[in-house]
Amino acid sequence: MTSRNLFFKLVRQDFRKRIWCPVLIFITYFLGLEVRLLMETEKFLVDGGECIYGGVSCDIVVYVSHLFFGREAWMIAVVTCGVAFLCGISGYAYLHSRTQLDTYHSLPVSRTQLFWSRYVSGIMQFFFPFLIHVLICAGIAANRGAFAAETVPAIMSYITLQLVMFVLAYGATVLAVVLTGNIIVSILGTFVLFSYSAVVSALIHLLFDRFFQTYINYSGWYDVCLSEKLGCFSPLSMLLKLFDRPYNTTMEAAQQFYTYDFSYMGIMFAAAAMYSLTAYVLYLKRASEAAGRSIAFCALEPVIKTMIVIPVSFFAAIFLSEISQETASDKWFLFGLFFSFVTFCIIMEIIFRLDIRGAFMHKKQFLFNAVCTALLFVVLRYDVTGYDTYVPADAQLQSCAISIRHLMPLSQHVRVSPFGTHYLNADDYRMANMEMQDNQSVMELARKAAQEQLTYRYFDYYEGIEEVPEYIETMNRQQYYEPISFAYKLRNGEVVNREYYIDIADADTVRLLSDIFADSNYKIGATPLFNDSWRIAFDTVRCKSGFKRADITLTPEMQAELVGTYQKEYMDLTLDTVMHVIPVGTIDFATGNEFGRTSYSGEMMVYPQFAETIALLRAYGFDMEEKLMADDVEMISVQRQYDHLQYKDSSTSYMLSTEEAEYTDKEQIQQILDSIVSDGFSWELGSFATYFDRQYFVTVRYGVKEAIFSDYVFIKGQIPDFVKISEKNN
Amino acid sequence: MITATNVKKHFGEIAAVDDVTVTIRNGEVFGLVGTNGAGKSTFLRMLSGVLRPDSGTVLVDEKPVYENPAVKADIFYISDDQYFLPNASPRDMAKFYSDYYVSFDMVRFEDMLAGFRLKPNRKISTFSKGMKKQLSVLLGVCANTKYLFCDETFDGLDPVMRQAVKSIFAGELAERSFTPVIASHNLRELEDICDCVGILHQGGVLLQKDLEEMKLNIHNIQCVFQNAQDEQAALGLLEIVKSERRGTLNIVTVRGSEREIMDRINSFDPVFAEILPLTLEEIFISETEVVGYDIKKLIF
Repeated sequence: MTSRNLFFKLVRQDFRKRIWCPVLIFITYFLGLEVRLLMETEKFLVDGGECIYGGVSCDIVVYVSHLFFGREAWMIAVVTCGVAFLCGISGYAYLHSRTQLDTYHSLPVSRTQLFWSRYVSGIMQFFFPFLIHVLICAGIAANRGAFAAETVPAIMSYITLQLVMFVLAYGATVLAVVLTGNIIVSILGTFVLFSYSAVVSALIHLLFDRFFQTYINYSGWYDVCLSEKLGCFSPLSMLLKLFDRPYNTTMEAAQQFYTYDFSYMGIMFAAAAMYSLTAYVLYLKRASEAAGRSIAFCALEPVIKTMIVIPVSFFAAIFLSEISQETASDKWFLFGLFFSFVTFCIIMEIIFRLDIRGAFMHKKQFLFNAVCTALLFVVLRYDVTGYDTYVPADAQLQSCAISIRHLMPLSQHVRVSPFGTHYLNADDYRMANMEMQDNQSVMELARKAAQEQLTYRYFDYYEGIEEVPEYIETMNRQQYYEPISFAYKLRNGEVVNREYYIDIADADTVRLLSDIFADSNYKIGATPLFNDSWRIAFDTVRCKSGFKRADITLTPEMQAELVGTYQKEYMDLTLDTVMHVIPVGTIDFATGNEFGRTSYSGEMMVYPQFAETIALLRAYGFDMEEKLMADDVEMISVQRQYDHLQYKDSSTSYMLSTEEAEYTDKEQIQQILDSIVSDGFSWELGSFATYFDRQYFVTVRYGVKEAIFSDYVFIKGQIPDFVKISEKNN
Repeated sequence: MITATNVKKHFGEIAAVDDVTVTIRNGEVFGLVGTNGAGKSTFLRMLSGVLRPDSGTVLVDEKPVYENPAVKADIFYISDDQYFLPNASPRDMAKFYSDYYVSFDMVRFEDMLAGFRLKPNRKISTFSKGMKKQLSVLLGVCANTKYLFCDETFDGLDPVMRQAVKSIFAGELAERSFTPVIASHNLRELEDICDCVGILHQGGVLLQKDLEEMKLNIHNIQCVFQNAQDEQAALGLLEIVKSERRGTLNIVTVRGSEREIMDRINSFDPVFAEILPLTLEEIFISETEVVGYDIKKLIF
């Protein structure tokens, strides 16, 4: 008998022995594939051939090719991970049984053949039932008219994806089984291996978020599980990364219907091979007497303990402090850290000894882990590494991106493809598309912001601090602070992100900001409206002035002329103008129809200096400089909001009160109209506009056919006396 | 031939096998005796390539056995708790082993199953402990391997079955190259089947002896002399291992050949002198007492 024959005999033997496994897998995929496909495609038959899926309008062909076999593949990928777990555990569980080991290891077969025959058998147990179901699904799709040429590559890609996912999760499971000598510990080990990098990445995110004021994460909620520095070596991280639509994207990428990153499967396959080969090498080295023990390789025990106890302790500490009333306080965090550390050290010892009497063994290791945990806490809590004050040296820097909130607007959803909108986070866009170089003010501002960040104070609203005078004093002092984000793009390819709060009232800060704002690289990089590769055909331009708004439809030539003119004038705009000149209106380039508009550029300010833009808009039918007159107004209501401290029963509390007055006299109305600007401008510009008095809130009621309400604020220093008098009267 | 030289195996701090040196010749039935925990199973597991020795060498036909399928093809190992596939029948197990052992004799297996009245398609999980032991032996014999390692295999067999198995072994020994190694905690189990016995105690080998050689060189004598002077003189000429006196009757265990011993005793014209049969147990008691052990405490 040749070895090859024996190998196939062993595969067949194992397949027969675990026949329940493919049967179970067959049933699982039947429910996950055919049943689901039949249910989902029924909607198309009922709804006349088109459905909305996750904001995407699609027909049945698109659904089958791009969603069922595309974007929704993650659902079956999760099932596949479970199947891999089942195959891995059942295939190698004999390593935990001395009886079985005695038999298998005494047989005239090499461990290499024994390992790989089981390995191949496990893959077959998954693959054949899965393949049959996919082919049946293809048949169902064809029967329902959902099969097109594009479906074939989608199915091929889908099969590859699931196979790679299986091998990855299977390799991790087999490795966990080989490393351990007990089924329960194997299951725990599989969960650890399966999710370690994802969990530790999430922990890093949580710890940085808690301890570092300048930490910022530009990504989706589950992207916190994907740390570039740590790497995505666990199957869970890889699964998330595979289906994670990249945020920092190009226009071309945004226009594509995103399903998953097929190119990433090469890395996944390499990881799967690495897991499997590591499992194989350890299998060869694994002593038969390891059956029944918790861990097969005693040398790994302290490493595993440290790698689990420390992260779990910090997780528990965060959890405990987050559920407490004082989330920012160290008190509950430290208690959680200490309690969970001791508890998990004991639990780990019990697991490794499989004996509760072993709970307090290895005191030296307990001490070592305790010191590591304490050191880590000190490093984080007191920012020993200088994370918050870190600014790269000029020599290290390739370029820099800045996102300054309120200085330039940006919409969040952009309709860039027939499939739907692309989520465009302003900071994400800028961090990816802005390349500022050779502007000394950028790094000067970064250093200043990093230094001043140390004096910026955060308050936890739920701590009751708002009742303390210190809170009001701090809020008043910090009322002109605006967040500013930096992406330091280093020469070594690394990108370091930081977020600071800068004081707009500080003259030196304004000087630096003026330099940055005057830099055309900043303006071009801050909005896709000025980015040639991102420019798209708009459906409408939404124009707003102080009291009216209108959607105007332009030809592509007119749009290009308007954008070109606006861009040219915006490039000459200075920060001083932004801070001190009241805009005449806004223009917003949008896509969509009357049933739903999607803003592309956000509401871009038009200043009186933008003469050519204003003239062009007028020519297109919108007079931005037109003013609202008293005769057109029926009534004006003025609200004043003010905060004050209230002393009662020897306690102090912070109160927010509102007073309101209505004006119908035409003379008073005209005076008020001459002193107000649209509230929308005030919100858009935040602290950068220094000419608003936000204590007052003005509502103007006008309209001939029907009443229109518009909201305004007063220009600072121009509040009519009668408004102040009424305030005194109140 | 199997040669184990200075073999050691530790499980943590416990020395399961400590510096064991044993040689098992081809064609002999080797008995491995020892109390529970003496290291018999560990030693057999090393001989069959399941465990790798910490130090020392285990050679089967001068080749290392660990992770050597070619050598293992000549070995069939029956553990003290033999594994059978889930829901398997004797026939299934035979098919299982025939995948690994090219010489597995399915026809003979079926015949032997019938001889032992074991149903080929009955689930093994419904078998008694003794039936499972019988099946293990049949599988081992039908694998037609040169070496058969049996760990406590005979302990669960009733006397009739034990005799039947012994007959099979005898037949195999006569017909082909066959070397069974039988581990047991009971010396009496091995008395009538083994050619050579090694005693393991606390991981080490106390003794390894050829049984025939031992039987020829040690004898139990019962004798009565004419007077005390003759008695003293006669016994003084013998290499006594153990002696006991009941009135004038002397019961002595003596080393040497039967003829030599009797010639020396008869030269004093004893009242009565005869050789009594020695059990394997008595031989071992005598032998191990010489080396300073109380074998009764070790084995029986």
